[in-house]
Amino acid sequence: MNILAVLLFSFTDFIGTFHPLLVHLPIGILLLAALFQLLSQREKFQGLAPAVSIALFFGMVSAIASCISGYLLSDSGDYDEALIFKHQWFGIALALTSIAAWLSERYKVQNKLLPWLIVFLIFMTGHYGGSITHGSGYLTKAFSSSGKLTEQKRKPIPDVQQAVAYQDIIKPILMSKCYKCHGPDKQKGKLRLDIPDLILKGGKGGQVIVAGNTDESELIKRILLSKDNEDHMPPVEQPQLTKAEMELIHWWIGSGADFDKKVNALAQSDKIKPVLIALQSEEVKEAVKFSDIPENEVVAADSKIIKELLNRGVALIPVTKNSNYLSANFVAVDTISVQDLKLLEQLNQQLIWLKLGDSNIGDKDLRSIAKLNSLTRLSIERTAVTDKGIGELRNLSQLQYLNLLGTKISAEGLMQLKGLNKLSQLFLYKTTISPANFAEIKKVFPKVQIDTGGYKLQFLESDTVELKTAGKK
Amino acid sequence: MKDSILTQKLIKEAEQASLQYYTRRHFLKESAMGFGALALGSLLGSCGTDNAPPANSLFDASNPLAPRPPMFPGKAKSVIYLHMAGAPSQLEMFSYKPELAKLDGLDCPQSLLEGKKFAFIRGVPKMLGPQANFRQHGQSGLWLSDNLPHLATIADEIAMLNAVTTDQFNHAPAQLLMQTGSPRLGRPSIGSWVTYGMGSENKNLPGFVVLTSGGNNPDAGKSVWGSGFLPSVYQGVQCRGEGDPVLFIKDPDGMDRDLRRASIDAINKINQDQYREYQDPEILSRISQYEMAYKMQISVPEVMNINDEPAYIHEMYGTEPGTTSFANNVLLARKLVEKGVRFVQLFDWGWDTHGTSASGSVDIGLVNKCRKVDKPITALILDLKQRGLLDETLIVWGAEFGRTPMQENREGKDMPFKGRDHHAAAFSMWMAGGGIKGGTSYGETDEIGYDIVSGKTEAFDIQATILNQLGFDHEKLTYESQGRPFRLTDVGGKVITDILA
Repeated sequence: MNILAVLLFSFTDFIGTFHPLLVHLPIGILLLAALFQLLSQREKFQGLAPAVSIALFFGMVSAIASCISGYLLSDSGDYDEALIFKHQWFGIALALTSIAAWLSERYKVQNKLLPWLIVFLIFMTGHYGGSITHGSGYLTKAFSSSGKLTEQKRKPIPDVQQAVAYQDIIKPILMSKCYKCHGPDKQKGKLRLDIPDLILKGGKGGQVIVAGNTDESELIKRILLSKDNEDHMPPVEQPQLTKAEMELIHWWIGSGADFDKKVNALAQSDKIKPVLIALQSEEVKEAVKFSDIPENEVVAADSKIIKELLNRGVALIPVTKNSNYLSANFVAVDTISVQDLKLLEQLNQQLIWLKLGDSNIGDKDLRSIAKLNSLTRLSIERTAVTDKGIGELRNLSQLQYLNLLGTKISAEGLMQLKGLNKLSQLFLYKTTISPANFAEIKKVFPKVQIDTGGYKLQFLESDTVELKTAGKK
Repeated sequence: MKDSILTQKLIKEAEQASLQYYTRRHFLKESAMGFGALALGSLLGSCGTDNAPPANSLFDASNPLAPRPPMFPGKAKSVIYLHMAGAPSQLEMFSYKPELAKLDGLDCPQSLLEGKKFAFIRGVPKMLGPQANFRQHGQSGLWLSDNLPHLATIADEIAMLNAVTTDQFNHAPAQLLMQTGSPRLGRPSIGSWVTYGMGSENKNLPGFVVLTSGGNNPDAGKSVWGSGFLPSVYQGVQCRGEGDPVLFIKDPDGMDRDLRRASIDAINKINQDQYREYQDPEILSRISQYEMAYKMQISVPEVMNINDEPAYIHEMYGTEPGTTSFANNVLLARKLVEKGVRFVQLFDWGWDTHGTSASGSVDIGLVNKCRKVDKPITALILDLKQRGLLDETLIVWGAEFGRTPMQENREGKDMPFKGRDHHAAAFSMWMAGGGIKGGTSYGETDEIGYDIVSGKTEAFDIQATILNQLGFDHEKLTYESQGRPFRLTDVGGKVITDILA
C-alpha cells in the first residue's frame, strides 16, 4: 500500500514537470481559435469558420491539462504563493472560458465577447506564469538601469583584509549563483539565501550551514557533490561556482560563518590567503585597468587629417577598434616636418599615445607637442630635446608615461615637470642626470615609478667556459 | 640539323595521333562533364565572387600590413617568442623535484609506464634524479637551478608556468602545435595571426621576423613560421645573423637605386594591369611586397646591424658581431621591437638531450646551452625595462615539450651519457613583460615531475594568453578558409588570468 502511495506521489510529481511544456499548447491553439473566430465574422474569411470549433476543442483540452499539471507542480511548494494564487485562478478562468466558448460554438450560440475574453485571460495567465519562472519584474528588467540582479557588479575591494567577509565576499557569490532559485522570488526546497536569518534557518531538509563545521554543512556537501549527482548545486544547467568561490564559501563557513566580522578577524589558512589576495588584486586591477585611455568617449577626429598623416607613414590608429582615441608612432617617418606637427595639433582631443623616439624633433617642436593636452603616453627617447624645451611639457596634465631615455635632460630640467600629478612612469636611462641626483628626483616625484637603467649583469667565469665533462653536482 | 627536323616531324606525328584518338564520342562524353562543371562554377560563383576576401576578414589587399587597432586595450604591442627547439629539460632548469633525487637509479614503477608511449624509452627505464642544484630566488621564492645564474637575479620579473602539457611527443608535430595550433601542416603560425590582426607599425620592415640559431632550423622546418591559409604576406621573414640578413638584399653590381626603382615601377605597372583584369587581391599583395622589399633593402640591413651597438650592450648580452648566435639574435630582437616589428620569433636549436653524446646530455650539453641563453635573455628583459619597453613587449620562453623524469634507455639499452626522453605530459614555460605579473607561478606537477596536478596549461592556453595581451579575443580573431572560419586556438584555449598583472 505504501509503495503504491509513493508511486502515485512520484507519478503526480512527474505529471507536474510537464506543466511548462503543456502551457504553450493552449496559448497557441486558443489564440489561433480566437483569431479564426474573429476573422470568420467577415465575409472574406468565412471559410475559416469550420476550423473554429476544432481549434477551440483542442485548446480547451490542453487548457484543462495545463490546469491539472500546474496544480500538481504547485504542490511541490517552491514558489511564491501570491503569484501562484493569481496564475492558478487566471488559468482556471481561462480553462472555463474555453469550455464555454467551445460549447457556444458547438450549439451555435453567437457570442462576440468570448474570443476577446480568451485573449485577455491568456495574457494574464502567461504574464503571471512568466513572473514565477523568471522572477517578478522580468518584463521591465531590460529597461531598468540596475540591470539583472544576478549580474550586479561586485564592489571593488581595495584591501581585502578590511573587507566584511559576508557582505563583501560571500554575499556577492550567493547573489550571482544562488539567489535565482533561493532568493526573494523563488525558494526551492523552502531555502532562502539572501537574508542571514533565513540562511541560518535552512530549508525543507533542515539547516544548510553548521558554523565552523564544513563537513556537516549541507550547503558545502551539495556544492562538492559531483556534477552527475542530481543533488549537486547549483544545478548543472545553471552557472557553476568557480574553484575560488567554492574555497571562499568553505573558508567562511569553516571560520564560523559570521555575518559581521571583517576578513582580518577570521582565521586564514595558507590555502585561502592567495585566494583572498587574488580577490583584491583582481578588483584593484579592474579599478586602474587601462587608465591610460580616458573613460569619456571623444568625438571622432577629422578623417582627412588622419589620412594625410597615414600617407606620411605615421602609424596612426585608434587605440582599440571602437575608440576614437588615437595612438601615433613616427618610427617609419624619416624626417618629421613642421607640417606634420601642425596636423598633429589638430588631433589634440583624440591623440593620447605618441611615439617620437629616434626622430629629429627638438626643443622648439615641444611647443607643438605641449598642445596635445590629452596625451597619456609620450616617448621622445634619443631626441635632441634638452632642459630648454622640456618645460613645455608641464601642460600635459594627463601624462602618465614619459620616456626621456638618451636625451640631454638634467635633474634641473626634470624638476620643471613636477606639477604633472598623473605621471606614474618615467624613464631616465642615459640622460645627463647624475646618479647623485636620483634620490632627490625620487623625492620630487614620490608616486612615480622611475627607471634610471644602467643594469649590469654579473661577470661569471662559467659563462666563458664550455663543459666537456659533467661538472660537480 | 637533320636531327632536329626529324624530331619536329615526330612531334607533329605524335600530336596528330593523339588528336585522332579523341573521337566524337570522347568529345561528347567529356563535354557533358565539362558543361556540368561550367554550370556549377557559375552557380557557385553567383554566391559570392571568388576573389573577394572572406567575410569579417581584416585583410586589406592594397595595404595588408597597415597597422590595425586591437579589439580591446592590450598591454603588449609586440611579442618576442624564444623557442628552444629540441625541448630543454625542465628538471634541470625550472622544476625542482627533491623526491626525484631520492629515486635516482631505481627502476621506474610499472604504474607510470602502463598505457604510456615514449619516443625512445622501451622496457623499464631507471629514474634519473635532477642533475643540477636548485635554489629559491627573489621575493617570490622561485626555484631555479644553478644552470640559470643570471635569470635568477630577475626571478621576480617572470611568471612561471609549471604545468604545461601537450599531446605530441615528436619534435615537428609538437613544434607545429605550439606555433600554429595544430600538429599537422597547413595552419598559420602565431606570428602570422598577430600580423594579420595588427599589421605592422613600421611600413619599412616586415611585421613578423624569424631568427634562428644553434646550427639548424627547427625540426618542423619553415612551416612553424608559415602563413598557412592566411595571405602569404603574413608569413615570417627569416633573417640571417651573418652576411646579408636576407639573401640577395643588395642590388647586384652595376645596378643603382634609380634603376632598381625604375624596374620595380615597371613590374608594378604590369601587375596593376593584371589586377584591373583579374581583380585578384593577391596581385595587390604582390605589389605592396615589391614596395616593401625596395624599402627593406635599406631598412633591414640597418636594423640587422649590431656593430653600432655600444660596448656595454655587447657586454650585457654577450654578443659578438659577425657571427650567428642566440645572443646576437636576442639583441636583434630588441632592436626590431624598438623599430615597431610586431612579432619576433627566435628558434634556438640543440636542446634535445637524449644522452647519446656529451653535447646531448643533461649534465654537460644542457649546461652549455643554458650558458649560451641565460645571459642574453636576462639582458633582454633588463634592457627592455630600462628602455621603457618591457610593459609593452611580451616575452615568451618555451619549447615544444619537456623531458622525462626517467633516464632514456634507447632500444632498452643504457645510454653512454645522462639523458632524458621526450616528455609531453608535463613541462615548464615562462612569460615576462607585456602585462604579465612578474613573480607569479601557475600550475603544479607531482613530486617527480611526471604529470601535472593542477593548473593544466595547453598550447592553446598560451596562444590565447598571448593574443589577449595584445588586445585580441582568441575566439574572435578568425579567418575564413575552406568555407568556415578558422582561429589559432581551434576549439580550445583559455586565457591564463592567474599570471596577468
